[in-house]
Amino acid sequence: MTSETDHNWLNRLEEQSRLKQEQFMDGIAAKLGRDRIRTAPEHPFRGAPDFWKEFEWPLEQRITQFTANFEAAGGHVVRLSNREAVSQFIRDKAVEMSAATILRQQEEALSCLRLEESLLEAQVLSWNDEADTDWRAVAARADFGIVMADYATAYTGSIVVKSAPNKGRSVSLLPTVLVAVIPVDRMVTRLGEILVQFDQAGREQLPAGIHFISGPSRSADIENDLTIGVHGPGIVYALLVDSYEN
Amino acid sequence: MSSSELKAKTVKERAGQALNNDFLRNAVKFTTERLRLGKKLASEEHGNWDVWRERGRQIRLHTIAHLDYYLNEFAEQARANGAHVHFAETAEEAVAISLQITEHKSAKSVVKSKSMVSEELHLNKALDSIGVEAVETDLGEYIIQLADETPSHIIIPAIHKNRYQIAELLSAEAGETLPPDTTILAGFVRMKLREKFLEADIGMTGCNFAIAETGSMVLFENEGNARMVTTVPKTQITLMGMERIIPSWADLEVMATLLPRSATGQKLTVYMSGISGPKREADADGPDEMHIIIIDNGRSLQLGDPEFQELLNCIRCGACLNACPVYRHIGGHAYGGTYSGPIGAVLTPALNKNVAEWDDIANASSLCGACYEACPVKIPLHDMLVSLRRRKIEAGRGDKLEAMGMKGFAAVMGNAKRYRSAIKLGKWGQKLVVRGGEIRTRIGPLKGWNSYRVTPSLPKQSFRDRWPEVAQEIHSTSGPMNPEIAARLKERLLAAEFRKGEKAYDKRN
Repeated sequence: MTSETDHNWLNRLEEQSRLKQEQFMDGIAAKLGRDRIRTAPEHPFRGAPDFWKEFEWPLEQRITQFTANFEAAGGHVVRLSNREAVSQFIRDKAVEMSAATILRQQEEALSCLRLEESLLEAQVLSWNDEADTDWRAVAARADFGIVMADYATAYTGSIVVKSAPNKGRSVSLLPTVLVAVIPVDRMVTRLGEILVQFDQAGREQLPAGIHFISGPSRSADIENDLTIGVHGPGIVYALLVDSYEN
Repeated sequence: MSSSELKAKTVKERAGQALNNDFLRNAVKFTTERLRLGKKLASEEHGNWDVWRERGRQIRLHTIAHLDYYLNEFAEQARANGAHVHFAETAEEAVAISLQITEHKSAKSVVKSKSMVSEELHLNKALDSIGVEAVETDLGEYIIQLADETPSHIIIPAIHKNRYQIAELLSAEAGETLPPDTTILAGFVRMKLREKFLEADIGMTGCNFAIAETGSMVLFENEGNARMVTTVPKTQITLMGMERIIPSWADLEVMATLLPRSATGQKLTVYMSGISGPKREADADGPDEMHIIIIDNGRSLQLGDPEFQELLNCIRCGACLNACPVYRHIGGHAYGGTYSGPIGAVLTPALNKNVAEWDDIANASSLCGACYEACPVKIPLHDMLVSLRRRKIEAGRGDKLEAMGMKGFAAVMGNAKRYRSAIKLGKWGQKLVVRGGEIRTRIGPLKGWNSYRVTPSLPKQSFRDRWPEVAQEIHSTSGPMNPEIAARLKERLLAAEFRKGEKAYDKRN
């Protein structure tokens, strides 16, 4: 299939789709017994109940709650003081678990851990730092995936990661072990504090993938017996760092 | 589905089969109990549960009442994100679009994450018919696909299989004998499906919520297979019921609070993913091409129907299944449709356009209202079941014998003198059949009842005999009716009145 016919085919589909779309919407309006609504209606119940929007824990409590929730879900939480401690922790863990391949996001905040130089026992790779590589395949065979969390939420015990050219979705998904570095100032109380930011930013600012991760991959599909690591990482470390900046 | 299951035409027959299967009955009971308790604890711990339910209901009501605007907005924004949006009125159209994409991409295999819509479409069979391998990747769905069966629970699809049966199915796939050990079995599936993810040409998902303002779709899951399916293959297809819409990310907080707690008792599923279009130009993963197929398939029939419009509020959590005493006994397959439990009992006939005709599914309920209590968006399922039964009778499809019996009942009950004579006759007549205060004989008018239950004997002093003192007691203790109940009764009455006047529109909006 050449790209040209692909293009034509998609155009033809879109034409059909737009016709159908009008029928669809007209049909809905007719069934609801009124004319089409073409401007945004007032939405009086948008978002969480009001009392909830004011709810906020102080930092230490956010950390305690995040830790309790993440551990209850089967994840590991380690609190570290600074960047050096993070670097040391990952090195020790990689050696302890005999990790052969480590894949990290291509971020300044992670390259400054200098794992490439200090971790000679393993191959350390940086996501999408060269073209012509099947990065999905690299992620699939990596033992460790290392990411910076964009945010974390204490109430649900979740790490939030957003995709970008230098930040692969596969890095937090395909390796056996996931290590997420979370500077504590990125930790909020509620999900809503993060979600409303996506509304405020608007469609054009959103990345292709936004992922909330609340522990290791799990399933209870076989006789209600909890199984960890069914498809995603079975071992997840959340590293809470008090002062990550230099 | 096995051949004996296919032969069973009615809910009663299928329930009979289920009741004869001890493992199924116990497994369903255990699982629903675990999920129900999990939900109870999670909702209590969260607190103000009814305030959240009400908020969830309001958001869903608002969205459905303005569905033409929000759905249109979603389609436009999703296109702006670079996704290709399609509309399908029927299951056949949705299948045709899916097959067209598959053929155009010369795809050999499709990896799928759990989607109830795809079950509605019987898409796997259609893909198979054009020589494309469709692989279910949710652990439970994978198991029942190997067994060639359908899901029996919306959250735990393979609830009816034990690990020995599962080990047998997976061993056949592995070509070696696997022990019935959960960790080993899950490990095999991880390895096996990893290959499938990496080889597949197309990834296919359902959609929990679609955010109108940004054209994003949101998936909740625990295993990570939905993330795999939306990250690894080059082409991605999302199947989405037309009512899955919510206006904004802010509204997602309410759904994310209600859905996981109601489904499994979790504060949030392990993964919640918001996907906005295909991969960006410079991204190194995510699909190059993303298709979203928006499906009606009977959904729009509920719009403007004051008795059933709220069905579209459903967020597919399964809490009503776990709460339902009937589901707990007969399991999901007895319902005979894609959706089981109380929601299935209403949704199946509603989506099939034949509210009045659908066999006896509306009778598979004790109308206890546990489903309504459990529902995170307060869908009055038990009221809907009553409406279904009423429509069936109105359409002249009631049970003739039952109708006759009811007429007789009315004749006796409508006249105090006749009632007294009948009871007197009964007290005298029962002496022949009472054994230890119970009547177990299955003769005459008691045949139907006593096939499943035991009739207590008529007491020496009946409630009616005691009425004068009881009435006295009530008058001295009762206050005014609970205002919430009074409002509800009034609302139903209004809706019924309204229905008579035709051209329906949900007054509560």
